[in-house]
Amino acid sequence: MAEFDLDHLKKTWQEQEVQPKYDSPQIEAMLNKSSRNYVKYILWISIAEFLVILGLNFYYSFIGDDSESFMNILGKLGIENTVDLQADFAHLYFVLKFVSLVLTGVFVVLFYQNYKKINVESNLKKFILQIISFKKTVNIFILANILLLVFFTTVLTVFTFYILSQQHIQLSHPTLIGFIVGTVLMTILSIVLIWLYYRIVYGIIMKRLGKNLDELKKMESVE
Amino acid sequence: MSAKEKEFSQLIKDNQGLIIKVSRLYTNSIEDEQDLFQEIVLQLWRSYDTFKGQSKISTWMYRVALNTAITLFRKKTKSPQTDELQDFHYKDFVEDDEEKQQQISTLYKVIKMLPNVERAIVTMYLDDLPYKDIAENLGITEVNARVKMNRLKKTLKELMEKHG
Repeated sequence: MAEFDLDHLKKTWQEQEVQPKYDSPQIEAMLNKSSRNYVKYILWISIAEFLVILGLNFYYSFIGDDSESFMNILGKLGIENTVDLQADFAHLYFVLKFVSLVLTGVFVVLFYQNYKKINVESNLKKFILQIISFKKTVNIFILANILLLVFFTTVLTVFTFYILSQQHIQLSHPTLIGFIVGTVLMTILSIVLIWLYYRIVYGIIMKRLGKNLDELKKMESVE
Repeated sequence: MSAKEKEFSQLIKDNQGLIIKVSRLYTNSIEDEQDLFQEIVLQLWRSYDTFKGQSKISTWMYRVALNTAITLFRKKTKSPQTDELQDFHYKDFVEDDEEKQQQISTLYKVIKMLPNVERAIVTMYLDDLPYKDIAENLGITEVNARVKMNRLKKTLKELMEKHG
């Protein structure tokens, strides 16, 4: 083989007869096919996630009422179910639901804004950053929901302790220990499951984006 | 069929070599190659309205094609196919000069060994895009594109000697 010179091959490269050749009807048919790409994949999964969380929020805000089950737990701890207690809990529960709904609403707007920013005509670096930023909105939404879960659990636990001390109930009650251990374990389990889900669903695409972005950054450091 | 669709399909027909080369360089099976071709055409079609000739057609097409191939495209085939199949695949283009044909065939193989972004630089360089456009399409500086391409020429030479 002769000595390799890339520049000498340019002409041959440009004149190569590439196959298969597509004719006009084949190209026109492609315009009506549906796209199968990662952004669309992230979009649909994210929309499904938003809908599930929105649905749960709406359910607990307007239809379902799980205050009774919480009252049952308090009852098992020996707490007396008074009118004041019910009113306090109703106020607290309303604030928690409101915070959750506002948070979801803010993220729906952010999510849509970042999706609209994704433009395939941007340069590669900008394009990758646009997709990462879009995905980050979803990540922050998830993180915010995990924090909200921890916050809700903490608030309800503190509320329980407050009522216990108000009603002068001994804290050494074995059910109380079960309550604390159960709450902590359930919170940890929920966080692990959410984390695992996101690693599986978004792991591949985020790894690929990160790899390409690193490659571009390395090039920028070339002197 | 609208006039715009006709105009667009003619544009693709005239420039399909560019899309086929990108599709071939970023996939390992004929099925994925055809799917990528179709996805690039779709992405070009979706951005056709906003393309108002601010840049050359080939620069715009390369930008959309490479963004699609590197970032958007979801491959169906998980495992790479064998060299024998790829060899067969590259016999599509026939040059009179057998040695050059062999070199182009090997060149495809070695370019595919490069990481995604380096692959993009070589592809645009081979199709004579100016460094300014190569840099613009990738979001790096022109100096970086030049330095990188000079290094890539050496890398490709070594790879060609090893695999040629």
